[in-house]
Amino acid sequence: MEKLKIGGIKQSLELCQFDLRGVHSSEEITANVSKLLLSQKINMEFLTHYTHRNNYHQLTFCISQDKFSTTSEILKKEGSLPIGWEINSRGQVGIITIFPHQSAIKILGAIMVSWAAQSIPIYGIATSLSAISFVTDYQLIDKAIDVIQDLFQLPKDHAPLKPEIRYCQSDIVKGD
Amino acid sequence: METIAVYWEPRIKTYGFQRITDLALIEFSCPLSNIKPLGEILSQDDLKILRPKFIIAQVSNHEISFIICLPLKESKDFHTSLEKTSSPTPYKYIYPVSIIFFHGPHFGDRYGIANATFSSLSKAGIKILASGCSSASVFLVLAQHDIDKAEETLSETFEVAK
Repeated sequence: MEKLKIGGIKQSLELCQFDLRGVHSSEEITANVSKLLLSQKINMEFLTHYTHRNNYHQLTFCISQDKFSTTSEILKKEGSLPIGWEINSRGQVGIITIFPHQSAIKILGAIMVSWAAQSIPIYGIATSLSAISFVTDYQLIDKAIDVIQDLFQLPKDHAPLKPEIRYCQSDIVKGD
Repeated sequence: METIAVYWEPRIKTYGFQRITDLALIEFSCPLSNIKPLGEILSQDDLKILRPKFIIAQVSNHEISFIICLPLKESKDFHTSLEKTSSPTPYKYIYPVSIIFFHGPHFGDRYGIANATFSSLSKAGIKILASGCSSASVFLVLAQHDIDKAEETLSETFEVAK
C-alpha cells in the first residue's frame, strides 16, 4: 500500500510539561499563568487550553527543561492558582512536529496506532495551519521519529530538523 | 560559543489576524488504554476527506480528550460516525464557533506572546472556548459572535506588520 506523504519532521529540544486542572473560577487561568511566566521571562513553546465537561478547565504547556524548578515553585506559591487546582508535571518531554500535505486526521490516527504499538506515549497534541505537534517522552523521541519515518513517505533526502541552539532571553546586555 | 543579539519589540509584531468562521467544535474522549482503537477509527479512509481547522488533545486521569473544529457539513458526518462507535465517547458539540489565528516574526523565540494574547482578551471579557499554540502560531476558538471584538482587541495589543 502506498504510504501517505508528509512534508517533513521537526523535533524540539528537551522541554518539560505542566498540566493545570481545576473547576471554573472567576479568574482567567490562562491569563494568570501566562502573566506568571512572563514575570520570569519564560517562553511557552506549546500550549493548549480547554474547558472540559463538568466545567473542568485544563491548561497544558511546555517550556524549556531548565525552567522546570522555577516554574514549579511559582505555580505552587500560595495564590498563584485558584484554590483546588491540581498541578501535574513531566520533567522531560519533547515535541515532534510533522508537516502533512493533507489527510491530517488520517495521519493523526496512523501515528496514534503506531506509537501505541511501540508504547510511545502522547502527552498532548496541537495543530497549526500546516503542522501537527505531538508532545511525547523525550527519552523516546528518536524512536518516535523512526516510527514516523517508516510510516510516511518523506521528501527525498529529508532529515528531521533538530534545533542546535537555544534562545536565552535576558535584560542584561553583556559587553566585551 | 555564545552569540548575543539585542532586539526587543515594544509592541509585539504579527503578520495579521486570520479567521475561519462557521465551524463546529466537537469534543470526544477515550481512555489512554484505548488510544490504538481510536487511532484505527481516525485513520479510516472515509475520514480522509475531513479538513480539520483546529485539533488539540489533552491528557488527564488516564484519559485523552480531543477537541476538533470542522466545517459544519463535515462535523455532522464526523459526529455521526463517532456516535456509531462505542469508543470514543462524544461529549460536546458546539456550533457556530470561529477561529482567529496569527503568527509573527518572533513567535516561538520570545516570551510574553501568550500573556499579551490571553490578558487582553480576558480584560475585554472575551471567553476563549479552546486555544492551541504550537509551531509559533496562536489559534483561538471563540463563539462566533465574539470574533469581531476579539480581532479588535488583539489589533490594539499587537502591531500588525504593514
